[in-house]
Amino acid sequence: MNQFKYISPKTKDEVLEILKEENIRACLVAGCTNVLPNIRDKKIVSKVLVNISDIEELKGISKEQDKICIGPLTTIAELINSEVILKEGKGLHQAAEQFADPIVRNSATVGGNLVDASPAADMAVPLLALDAILKIESVERKRDVRLKDFFIGPEKTILQEDEMITGIEFESSNINKNGYFIKLGLRKAMAIAVASIAVNLEVRENKIARIRIAMGSVAPTPIRLTVIEEFLKNNEVNDGLIEEAINKVHEEVDPISDIRASEEYRRYVSGILFKRAFEKLTL
Amino acid sequence: MKKVEIEFTINDKKRKLSVKPNDLLINIIRNDLYLTGSKYGCGIGECGTCTVLLNSEPVLSCLTLAITVDGKEITTIEGLDRGDELHPLQKAFLKNGAVQCGFCTPGMILTATALLKENPNPTEDEIREYMRGNLCRCTGYNQIITAIKSCENKLKTS
Repeated sequence: MNQFKYISPKTKDEVLEILKEENIRACLVAGCTNVLPNIRDKKIVSKVLVNISDIEELKGISKEQDKICIGPLTTIAELINSEVILKEGKGLHQAAEQFADPIVRNSATVGGNLVDASPAADMAVPLLALDAILKIESVERKRDVRLKDFFIGPEKTILQEDEMITGIEFESSNINKNGYFIKLGLRKAMAIAVASIAVNLEVRENKIARIRIAMGSVAPTPIRLTVIEEFLKNNEVNDGLIEEAINKVHEEVDPISDIRASEEYRRYVSGILFKRAFEKLTL
Repeated sequence: MKKVEIEFTINDKKRKLSVKPNDLLINIIRNDLYLTGSKYGCGIGECGTCTVLLNSEPVLSCLTLAITVDGKEITTIEGLDRGDELHPLQKAFLKNGAVQCGFCTPGMILTATALLKENPNPTEDEIREYMRGNLCRCTGYNQIITAIKSCENKLKTS
């Protein structure tokens, strides 16, 4: 029989204790926008639902010296309303503006979008391009993990049963201020990305000093395109370079065919998205 | 399954209820409180017909656990009128023929109240953008947009 229990802790430390105690039985719930459809479909059964949505210490956006810190329970609507995110991580702000619809944005959280680990995750792509670091805690230990190393497969992450994300950080830097995000969906509202891209770029004396490229829905997880980043680095920006880079994008992505698009289309459109994002940042 | 007692305010009335941990807010509102204005549409957050205001913010009640509204305030379509007088948005929907089958109307109106609170004078594009998650299968969008547009700057007193 499908049995659920419910706990509503008030502090982060209480949550960590519950995770240690209940381990695999625990299911953290905050915005619920992904958890509830899974409960309905009986993909999640007989869990202890741990409601973390009222834990204030895990919410909010702050700037500390050269770092931007986002609480994992920050909602997508709060990202949109944040001057700090608009200035320091423009790609992330653009992704938030294209996320689902305004109602869902009031509930859905940044941390929830990451642990859900969809290959299409709208928050993961710009945060990968910002080279975000995740603060991960359990009762026993704390560790910092680069978002790049967090996803290991569709809906799979390195997060252990007793661990939770307690912070998301990225640097305040020139490259992070210069970002662009594009989501290609079948329609505007509520669409899951057919493909998405975030690029962060720093150009010095017409040469690419630093570049980070991340894509969604073109591989088993949201990915960084590190081969092409290396190829572009220290090169002068010109049309020939972009054409060569597009071919390399086609090689580096690893998409599948599904209900939304074919593998061939995703591979082709990945190059187009790269060109559009790159040109937005250089023109 | 063990039930948990919760207390919350709905349409300015305090209510106490025993709910299961996995009960959806929409089901509690419709089946336990008999407020059947809020509709159960897709059940997975795609259509917006179950929209209610939770602490004045629109949320989807099919994606909200009832148990998490303990201590909070909810407004449904039944809570918008003032006695015999309809809410300005309700009047505008009637006047502009923005109600066809009516299934999406409660969600549309509640989302629109939140829009006009944030932005009392929205452009047509801003209305379309904000309302983009509320679907109307009769496709009467133009009348809905017109109705909302006719309410600009009218909601200050409500």
